[in-house]
Amino acid sequence: MSSATPNAGGEHKLEQEDFEPRILVFCCNWCSYAGADLAGVSRLQMPPHFRVIRVMCSARVDPEFVLRAFQKGADGVLVAGCHPADCHYIGGNYRTRRRIALLRILLQQFGFDPGRLKLEWISAGEGERFQKTIVEFTDVVNELGPSPVRGGD
Amino acid sequence: MAQKHHTAHHGKKHEPDKEWEPKIVGFLCNWCSYAGADLCGVSRFQYPTNIRLVRVMCSTRVSPHLVLDVFEAGADGILIGGCHLNDCHYMTGNFHTEKRVELMKRLLKEAGIDEGRLRLEWVSASEGEKFSKVVTEFTEGIQKLGPSKVRSDDMMKAKVSAADDASQTFRLKALVGKEFNLLSKGNAYGEEVDAEKLTGVIDVATQDEFERALILELARIRPMSVKQLGMVMDVPTDKILRHIVLLRQNSKIAMEHPEGFTPVYKTIAIGGEQ
Amino acid sequence: MAATDKVGAVMVVGGGISGLQSALDLADSGFKVYLVEKQPSIGGTMAQLDKTFPTNDCAMCIMAPKLVSTGRHHNISLVTNADIMSVDGQAGDFTVTVKQRALRVDPAKCTGCGSCAQTCPIETSDEYNENTKVRKAIYVRYPQAVPLVYSIDKDKCIGCGICAEECKAKAVVYDQEESTSEIKVGSIILSPGFDEFDARMKGEYGYGVYKNVVTSIEFERMLSATGPYFGTVLRPSDGDIPEKIAFIQCVGSRDEQVGNEYCSGVCCMYSIKEAIIAKEHGGDIKPKVFFMDMRAFGKEFDEYYNRAQNEYGIEFVRSRVASVFEDPETKNLVVKYVEKGEPKEEEFGLVVLAVGLKPPQDAEALSKVMGFDLNTDGFCRTTVFDPVSSSKQGVFVSGAFSSPKDIPMTVAEASGAAAKAATEIASARDSLVTMKEYPEELDITGQEPRIGVFVCHCGINIGGVVNVPSVAEYARTLPNVAYAEENLYTCSQDTQEKIKEMIKEHELNRVVVASCTPRTHEPLFQNTIKEAGLNSYLFEMANIRDQCSWIHMHEAPAATKKAKDLVRMAVAKARLLEPLENLTIDVNQQALVIGGGATGMIAALEMAKQGVKVHLVEKEKELGGNLRKLHYLPSGEDPTEHADALAKEVMSNDNITVHTGTGVKNIDGYVGNFKTALDSGEEIEHGVVILAVGGQEYKPEGEYLYGENPNVLTLLEFKEKLKKDEAKGDSYVFIQCVGSREEGHPNCSRVCCTGTMTAAIKVKEKNPEAKVYVLYRDIRTYGFREAYYKDAAEKGVTFIRFEDDVKPKVEDKGGKLQVTVTDEDTDKEVVLTSDYLVLASGTRPYPESEALAPMLKVPMTKEGFFLEAHMKLRPVDFATEGVYLAGLSHGPKFLDESIGQGLAAVARAMTVLSKKTLEAEGIVASLDETLCDGCGICVPTCEYKALEIIVDKKDETKKLVDVNVGLCKGCGACVGACPSGALTQKGFKDEQIVAMIDAALEGLLGKQEVKQ
Repeated sequence: MSSATPNAGGEHKLEQEDFEPRILVFCCNWCSYAGADLAGVSRLQMPPHFRVIRVMCSARVDPEFVLRAFQKGADGVLVAGCHPADCHYIGGNYRTRRRIALLRILLQQFGFDPGRLKLEWISAGEGERFQKTIVEFTDVVNELGPSPVRGGD
Repeated sequence: MAQKHHTAHHGKKHEPDKEWEPKIVGFLCNWCSYAGADLCGVSRFQYPTNIRLVRVMCSTRVSPHLVLDVFEAGADGILIGGCHLNDCHYMTGNFHTEKRVELMKRLLKEAGIDEGRLRLEWVSASEGEKFSKVVTEFTEGIQKLGPSKVRSDDMMKAKVSAADDASQTFRLKALVGKEFNLLSKGNAYGEEVDAEKLTGVIDVATQDEFERALILELARIRPMSVKQLGMVMDVPTDKILRHIVLLRQNSKIAMEHPEGFTPVYKTIAIGGEQ
Repeated sequence: MAATDKVGAVMVVGGGISGLQSALDLADSGFKVYLVEKQPSIGGTMAQLDKTFPTNDCAMCIMAPKLVSTGRHHNISLVTNADIMSVDGQAGDFTVTVKQRALRVDPAKCTGCGSCAQTCPIETSDEYNENTKVRKAIYVRYPQAVPLVYSIDKDKCIGCGICAEECKAKAVVYDQEESTSEIKVGSIILSPGFDEFDARMKGEYGYGVYKNVVTSIEFERMLSATGPYFGTVLRPSDGDIPEKIAFIQCVGSRDEQVGNEYCSGVCCMYSIKEAIIAKEHGGDIKPKVFFMDMRAFGKEFDEYYNRAQNEYGIEFVRSRVASVFEDPETKNLVVKYVEKGEPKEEEFGLVVLAVGLKPPQDAEALSKVMGFDLNTDGFCRTTVFDPVSSSKQGVFVSGAFSSPKDIPMTVAEASGAAAKAATEIASARDSLVTMKEYPEELDITGQEPRIGVFVCHCGINIGGVVNVPSVAEYARTLPNVAYAEENLYTCSQDTQEKIKEMIKEHELNRVVVASCTPRTHEPLFQNTIKEAGLNSYLFEMANIRDQCSWIHMHEAPAATKKAKDLVRMAVAKARLLEPLENLTIDVNQQALVIGGGATGMIAALEMAKQGVKVHLVEKEKELGGNLRKLHYLPSGEDPTEHADALAKEVMSNDNITVHTGTGVKNIDGYVGNFKTALDSGEEIEHGVVILAVGGQEYKPEGEYLYGENPNVLTLLEFKEKLKKDEAKGDSYVFIQCVGSREEGHPNCSRVCCTGTMTAAIKVKEKNPEAKVYVLYRDIRTYGFREAYYKDAAEKGVTFIRFEDDVKPKVEDKGGKLQVTVTDEDTDKEVVLTSDYLVLASGTRPYPESEALAPMLKVPMTKEGFFLEAHMKLRPVDFATEGVYLAGLSHGPKFLDESIGQGLAAVARAMTVLSKKTLEAEGIVASLDETLCDGCGICVPTCEYKALEIIVDKKDETKKLVDVNVGLCKGCGACVGACPSGALTQKGFKDEQIVAMIDAALEGLLGKQEVKQ
C-alpha cells in the first residue's frame, strides 16, 4: 500500500525527520470557513498540521496578525476568503488581495520565503478546493522546511 | 469452460500439470463435522490425501475473508463442514454460515473462480462415512476443474484480492450479517421480508463492492482511465464511472491531472495523501 | 392592540428561494410563518445550482445564510415532508390541514451527524444530484440542508436496523407515523416552484437513450464542485472530458408539438452560464449553443452574452436542432440542424438539453384544494396590476408558479407577495409572534475569567478519532478553566440543561464548546448561556469535528493533538471575551416614496393600507408617470384608466401625503432616522426611503431620420398617435433595439419587443390590410409574452432579422419612407416603403437618479440605473439599510414586474417600519478616540458607508472617524486598514485574535512560553 503513497520531500525529508510544519489559516466566516466545514462533511482527508482562525471577513486579517504568526514560529500562513464576486460584505476581499500582495514583499525583506504566505479564494461549495489547498500548501511548506524563526532557512 | 475437459489423463501439453496435486483446505466445526471426521478415521473409511483440515469452533467462524484469503494463497478447493441445520451447538451459527457461503459463492463468481471449488456440507458427529464420501467426491471434482489459476494469472489474483476486500466492506458484512435474522424474524418495521427482493439487493451490492474493490486494486498499480478499467474488467464504462464517482467521494481514489481529454485515477493509500 | 378577527400568521407553501424570502420578510415584520415544504428539507431548485448568472456567484454561498436564518428564526415554523390536504375559511382566517409524512427520524433528537448514512448498506440514486450520484436509504438531501434532519426513504429501506443501532442519539423511529395538523393562518403564499420539462418527450434528441445527452439541471450538477465529478466535466458514458459540447435551447419551450408554447425565460441565460463555467473548468472545451432567439433580456444580461462570445469564445448558432444521433462506437453525438437554409451535421462529445420550466406536478391539486384559477398553461393565473395575487382572496403567489422566471424576479415577487399577505392581516400584526424572555444578565465586570469547557463526542463522529477524554482532561489544565466535561452530544437538549447547571454550580462566566461548526451551532449555545444569565457573546467554539476529526480520520494521535490546540486557542480567546450589547436604534415609522408612477403609487398605497404614514414625492404636477404614456397593454387593459384610478386612491388615502411638482433637495441620516428636504422647502422625517423614480424612453435624435421626418416615431409616440387614430396608413415598419444592445448601451431594454407586438397587433386589428414589418435582432417575448409574438405573426406581421452590425437604412423618398435592410436569413437586401417608421427605442434612467445616489450613498451601474445590494438575492435592497428601490430606475422592465418590485420594496421596508426600535449587530467596529487622528484611510474600506470623518466635539482642531453602528455590518475591513490601531472590532478584537495566534503556535519556539 505504502508504495503507492507519494512521499513528499524525498531525501529532503531525511534531514528533517522530525519537522512537523505548523500552518495558520485565516478563514472568512461566510465562504472559506464554510468550505472547510464542507470538506469535513464530505470526509475529505488532509494533513493535520494546520489550525484555523475564523474571522468575519478576510479583510479583517490585519497584516500584523500575519507578521505575529511568523514571529511566533508559524511555518506558513494561509488566508482564505470568498471569491472576489462572492464576498458577503460586497468588496472586502478585493482589499484582502492588495494587502496580501504587499505583505509578501515585506516578508521577503525579512528573509522569509514569500511562498510561506498564501491567499486563496474558497467558496462555501468548494470543500475539495479547501482540501487541495491544504494538501498543496502543506507540501510547499514541507519543502521550504522550518521557518527561519524556528531555526530553518 | 476449457478447464472442464482438462483432466490429469490428457493434460500432456502442460508440463507442470503432470505433477499437479490438488491442494484442498477443509474447515470443520468442532462439535459435528470434526467429530464426524474423527469417526471416519476410527471407522477406517478412506479418502484422498489432498485435504488439510482446520478445526474451528463453529462453521460460522469461517469468514468470507478467511476463505478468499486461502484461495488467494493458491488453494484449489475449500470445503466447509458444519452441523446440520438446527443441530448447531451455538443455536443458529450454521444458518449464518449458509448466508456467508452464498456471499462467498457470489464473490467467487465475480472473481471468475468456479463455484465448485467451494463446498459447504453438513456432517454430523455420527456421519463418518458421509465425511469420506464428501471428501472423495469433492477431491475428484477439483481434479476435474484442474489447478487454480490464482497464482499464475495476475488478473485472477487481482480479482480474488478484490473479492476479499469486498467481503470485508461494512456494507456486505452488514447485509449478510443481517440476512438470516431479516428473513426469519422480519425487519425493523415488523414486516416480513421478501427473500427474493433481499437476494436482489445483496446481489447488486456484491457486484458493486467487488467492482469497486477491483478498480482500487487495479488503480493501485498504476493510474488508469475509465475506459482502460472498463476494458480490463469487462464492465460497461458508464458503470465504472459511477463507481469512481463514489470512490472519489469516499476519498478512496483520486483523479490525476488529466492529460488531454482522458482523466486517469489512482488509488489513495489508506492514511491520506501524505 | 385593536381587536381583530384576523389571524396574524401566514402559511408559505414551498420552501425554495421564493418561500424563504417571503417567510423571512413576514417573520421580520411581526407575523408568525408556517413554511410548508414537500421535501424533508428546504432549499428548492436554487440549492442544486452551481453558479448563478450574470455574476457567476456560487449559489450555495449566497443562499446558505438565508437557509440558516430561516431555520433558526423563532417566528418561522418549518413543516417539512408535508402536503396540503384541505383549506377552509376565508381571507384573514383560513384553516389549513397539513399532512406530514413520516420522516422515521425524530427531528428533536437527530443532530444531523450523519453516522446513520455512513453505515446504511442501501444505495440508491441521489435526486439532489439528479441521479448522478448515490445516496443512502437514510439521508439528507444535501450537506447544508435545513433542517439538518435525516429521514428514511421507506421505499428503499430494507429495515435492517443498522441505522438505529448506529444512532447514539436514538433518533431513528421506524414506527413513526404520518401526522395531520390543522393550522390557522390569515394569508397563504404559494411558491411551489416549477418542474422541469421531461426531455424524454422530445424523442428526437435521444435523452434517456443516449448516455451523453443530459439535461441542463444534470449538467449543473456535473459542473458543481459538490457534484459527481468534483467540478470536472466528464461524459457519463466513459468519463472522458468532452472536447465539444452542444447546448440545445428551447427543449419543451416555444414548442407547439409538446403543448408548451410559452418561453421558459431562463434557459438562454443558464445555458450561457453553463457554457462559460464549462469553459472555465477546462480551457480546451468548446461549447456551442444552438438557439432560436437569444433572450438575454435582464439587467446586464447582454453584457454577459457578449462576454461569452468575445472573451470565452463560445459559439452561438441560430438554428433549431432537428435531431441527435449517437455514434454507437464512440458514443459521440451527431447534431443535425439547418443553418441559413443549409442542412448541416456536427459531432459532439456531450449534448446538453436546455429543458424548459413547467408548472409543478401538484399545481392542479393545489388549485382545487385552495380554490384559485390556473391559466391555460397550468400556471397560477395573475393579472398585470396584481402580479402576486391569485384569483382567490387571501391567497398570493410568487416565483415560477405564476410564470417561468429567474431568481431575482422570483425573490422580488416573494417579497411582494409577503407585502400583500401582510396587508390582508395588518391589524393582527405582532399578535402571534413571540418574544423570548431571558433572565437578567449577570454582571461579570471585574471577575476573573472562569471558563467552562464542554467537549463533544458527537456520537462517534469526534470520539471515534479524537481522544475526547484526554482533550477534556487537557482543557482542565489550561489557565482560567474552572470546569471541563465531555458529552455524548453537546447539542442535545439535556446537555443544554447541564451547561446551565454547571454555569451556576461553578460560577462560570465564559463558555467554550468544542464540537462542530459555529456556523450552525453557535446560536444554539449562545441561547443556552443567555438562559443562564450570561451575555451571549461570552461564548466561543472550537471546531473539532468538521475541521478535525472528519478530515484526519486515519491520524488519531495528530487529530487529538490538533483538537487540544483548537481548544487551547478557543480558551485563549474566551479569556478575553467581553459582554457585548446589541445597541438599539429608534425608528421613525414613516416612509418616503420618491416617484409617483405606478410603482411608487402602489408602494405608497400598500404601506398606507398597513397603517404607515407615507410621503409620496413626484416631480411632475400629476401622478401616473409612464403609465399615462403606455396607452395599450398587451393584455388588453387600459393603462390610462388605471392611472386615474390609482391616483385618485392615493390622493384620497389619509395615510398618504402627496407632494407633487417638487424634487428632493437633500436626504440625511440612516435607517430609521432619515431627514429629507424637498425643493418646495418642506422637511420630512422618515425611517425608510423607497426609490421609484422611474425611467424614460430614449429619444433617438439623428438616428433613422428621427426628429427630421414627422412619420419617424418612437414606440410610445406611435402608440399615442395610434390611440388617437392619427396614425393611419397602409404600411408600417418597426425597427428594434434602437439605442439598446449597442456601444455605450450594451444591454437589452426588455420591453420593446413586446411593446412592438402590442402596437403591430393593434395596427392589424385596425387595418387588416396594412403591411407591417418588424426588423429585429432577437425577438425577446419571454414567458407568456410569446403568445403576442405568435398572434402578431398569425395576423400577418412580417419579421425580418438583420445582423447585429448591419443596421437598416432609412431614406425619405418624397413623402414616403424607404427602409433598406439585409435579411440575415437569405442574405438579400429588402427594400420596404412605409408610411410610418416606428423605432422601438430603449429605456433610459432619469437624470434625477444620479442626483439621488450620493445623497443616499447608493451605487449606480455605468448606464445610470441604481445598483442593488445583490443582483440575485437582494434585488430591491441596497447595502445601505433602509433604502429600497423598484421599477425602471432599477432597470428596464414591464409594468407587472415594476409593480412586483414596488410591493417587494414595501415588504422589505416593513421589516424596519414594523418595529419601534432596531437592534444593531453586536459585532461592530468601535473606536478608541484617543488613538484616532482622523486620517480617513478606513472610510473607503467600508462598503456600508458606516464611517464618516467628523470634527471632534471636544477639540475642534481634531478630526475623528465616526462609526455609525446603525449601518455597520461587522466585517472588520476598516479595522484591518486602520494604521493607528484606533478601530477595533467587537468580538474579534486584535488582542483576541492575537491570543488565538499565540495559542495556536505555542511551544514552537522552544520552551520559553510555559503556561502559567
